[in-house]
Amino acid sequence: MSDNIIGAAPKRIDGRLKVSGAAPYAADHLPEGTAFGYGVFSTIASGEITRLSLDEARRSPGVIDIFHHDNFPDLHRSPASFAEGNMVEETRLPFEDNRIYYAGQFVALVVADTFENARAAAYKVKVEYSESEAIANLDQGVAAHGTEAGSSEHSRGDPASAFDGAAQRIDVTYTTPVETHNPMEMHASVAQWHDGQLIIYESSQGVVMQKGALSKIFGLTPDRIRVESPFIGSGFGSKLWMWPHAVAASAASREIARPVQLVVPRAQMFTTTGHRPETRQRLRLATDGNGRLVSLRHDSINTTSFTDRYVETCGSVTKSLYHCDNLSISHATTRVNRGTPTSMRAPGAAPGLFALESAIDEMALKAGVDPLAFRLNNYAERDESLDLDFSSNHIVEATRRAAERFGWQDRNPEPGSMRDGNEIVGYGMAACNWEALKFGCEARVSLRADGSAYVTCATQDIGTGTYTIVAQAVSDVTGLPLERITVRLGDTSYPEGPLSGGSWATATTLPAVAEATRNAIDQLKSYAVSSRGRFSGVDAGELGFENAQLVHNGERIDYVDILSAQRLASADGRAKTSGADNEYSYRSFGAHFVEVRWDPGISRLRVSRVVSAIDVGQVINEMTARNQVEGAIVMGLGMAHFEATEYDHRDGRPVNNDYAEYVVPVHADQPELDVILLDYPDYQFNEFGARGIGEIGTTGLAAAVANAVYHATGKRVRDLPIHKEKLMDDIPEARSA
Amino acid sequence: MDHQDEPTGRGGVETFDARSPSRRRFLKSMGVSGLAAATAPAWTQIAQASQASPEPVEPQQDGAPAEGEQQITLTVNGQQHVLNVVPNAVLLDVLRLRLGLTGTKKGCDHGQCGACTLHVNGVAVNACLSLAVSHDGDEITTVEGLASGDALHPLQQAFWEHDAYQCGYCTSGQLMSAAAVLNNPDIDSSDAALREALSGNICRCGAYKNILAAVQDARGRMEGSS
Repeated sequence: MSDNIIGAAPKRIDGRLKVSGAAPYAADHLPEGTAFGYGVFSTIASGEITRLSLDEARRSPGVIDIFHHDNFPDLHRSPASFAEGNMVEETRLPFEDNRIYYAGQFVALVVADTFENARAAAYKVKVEYSESEAIANLDQGVAAHGTEAGSSEHSRGDPASAFDGAAQRIDVTYTTPVETHNPMEMHASVAQWHDGQLIIYESSQGVVMQKGALSKIFGLTPDRIRVESPFIGSGFGSKLWMWPHAVAASAASREIARPVQLVVPRAQMFTTTGHRPETRQRLRLATDGNGRLVSLRHDSINTTSFTDRYVETCGSVTKSLYHCDNLSISHATTRVNRGTPTSMRAPGAAPGLFALESAIDEMALKAGVDPLAFRLNNYAERDESLDLDFSSNHIVEATRRAAERFGWQDRNPEPGSMRDGNEIVGYGMAACNWEALKFGCEARVSLRADGSAYVTCATQDIGTGTYTIVAQAVSDVTGLPLERITVRLGDTSYPEGPLSGGSWATATTLPAVAEATRNAIDQLKSYAVSSRGRFSGVDAGELGFENAQLVHNGERIDYVDILSAQRLASADGRAKTSGADNEYSYRSFGAHFVEVRWDPGISRLRVSRVVSAIDVGQVINEMTARNQVEGAIVMGLGMAHFEATEYDHRDGRPVNNDYAEYVVPVHADQPELDVILLDYPDYQFNEFGARGIGEIGTTGLAAAVANAVYHATGKRVRDLPIHKEKLMDDIPEARSA
Repeated sequence: MDHQDEPTGRGGVETFDARSPSRRRFLKSMGVSGLAAATAPAWTQIAQASQASPEPVEPQQDGAPAEGEQQITLTVNGQQHVLNVVPNAVLLDVLRLRLGLTGTKKGCDHGQCGACTLHVNGVAVNACLSLAVSHDGDEITTVEGLASGDALHPLQQAFWEHDAYQCGYCTSGQLMSAAAVLNNPDIDSSDAALREALSGNICRCGAYKNILAAVQDARGRMEGSS
């Protein structure tokens, strides 16, 4: 193997397509004869449709058909199984009946010859409802019907007794609001049928999973369905599973026998394509006289929909980050009139570590220990929840290096003590953590007589750089330059690849690609030693492969010549690799250090500086990896500072479901970012030593901000986001419920 | 599907029927390196794959407008089009759906995200907020018109080299805003001024650090070359 391409920073092989506007995203596909769908969405959060008045809409120019619960074709539900490969989060089909479970639910779909005509007609659909009282938020859900016990629980020791007998204790509750993924590209489907085969362009983080779900829903064998997602305007989890629009577009296309393009409007990106649910988390921590944790309990409740149950596993990191003999985590849910929640970047860990890492800060202060020293004193040395060693864990080094780079040693621990002109400066820190996952994967590689390598895998590049790192893996094995490697992803015609989510695409895909490449080289060798081959009579086992050449006893022949000599098109290799073993606990680690500046005179709060050190094993592409962590920090900043989907407590309707009032970080919010990538390969996990990098930067960031805000202001904000209103002295009550 | 097959050697990209939208879409759908993989006979041409430029757009010449339509003339990336449009047709949709210029993206339909930014008579506007009928006679530049032939605009080159994107969906809007900002003498060259000026363009992937670096780098290249 050449050792320089892995870990290097080549620019993306698809970069030119992106900067020139030529990269095709889902809604950029416009097959001949495409009709356009436009949705009509419920304006109530709970109740029933009593009457649909369609006459005016039907008379509108260009209308082809209008679908709704009385005329939508009979379809089947997906079993919604991850293991079976047909997972969906919202199992109810669109237009299944006249019931309304959430505001922004599909109630009709207008299909017309042009986009303008579809939109105009959709506005003319009149819907009458019988509205029932909505459960608008977590508090109302718990009050109305309590909670249901969740999953992924864990306990060890006797946390209650240990808590009662401990030297120092805290018992605090944190809340996080609904957050909405809001990828820049709105969900979109372009569906068409040819001879009973469904071909759908989708903005999808998992084409194979969508194919599996569509197969169940339409009752078709999988070979009758093809899902393509060559480029996706990101997803952050909202595009892991298919949502109702894709079913609606597919069914409508079959009914009218024309391709149908359906784009989910931004307002409905908040309602019918998932969100991170609201959480309430109670943390009970206790230490002994030496500042060592002796009891840790993390009990969370999250909202879910009336149609499906989604559990936000807030305690997923809590059970293994710190050494603690007495520990328990639990996850309960309560039903509200909102769409079904789903995974959003670092599900469980992002809200969970806001609570845990804020509580650790509070515990450290209560114990009279510096928060940095407290963590270094309490980090777990092995995974006590699984009773396994970590495969590779450099959290102590990560924490120390980031602290040094940040200048933590200059911190005066007294809140409000560090001033810079009109501003009060606050320093805060938090650990970050994410599980390393790896699943089965198939890939195919061809070494072609034209001198190229051609790689296919039905995973996706969602903006993380997968196209490029797949090419790097092939280059690593073959010595071919990236310019000679063609990578095709995002199409179910290719060998089955993983979802792009959970930070597992890299660790899952690259070993399969490398194995397929080696198998292609083996096939090449078998051709070379055959009776007509250039190395006829040589034992294939004695042939080496270096820099695109077969080598034997000093003789070197380019693989193109091997193939050309026998008029062969290619040497091909396939591979099927397996998921992670249970030998170790595989996790990634790191720490964030955040500087905030609070100007009390004008009530201005901003994050000015972030230093993070991240231990994710081997970095494959230094440039795209760094970009991932920096972007994750920006998303964490949004979580800390701005983001909350708000619902009217009277009727459950979202009130800020647009891109202006759901505030996300913009250029002007960008702090100074300094990311340290530790780069210790984890060869226990896979041959590349990579554990994945997408989520971890988002975890812990909000806590680091909250801890810095406390240090600046003396105010402990336990309710995200940290609006400046929550810091202003003359506002009697924070805006939280 | 033939685009998964081995190269057929049946000729270059330009031989496909550019008048057929479905054919163009089909080719566009082929993803990274698709065009060259399907057509290039030798590895030396494979580099063209990642060098692919947006396909040229045929001039559109509509006949007499139907009832309810209005005829407008748009000059887009130097190409004149005569189009019949309905009064509620939005400029963004006309460019994307009628002319096939899909490089300009729709992110919110409300002028809140900046993904649809393009230039009208040299001024950056949100194409999603603008009715097509109000642009009769206007000169429009989209991301497809930013490069000079095969030579990328310095901003495009800098975005590529600085990894100033992740998913790429906001990229054309970022580029078009940046191009307008760099031409605006009222916006100084400081990082802070640039951040303020570009804040109408959301990047949900959060690649702001690299976008800023790319724009500043491009500024240097453009000043150096002028």
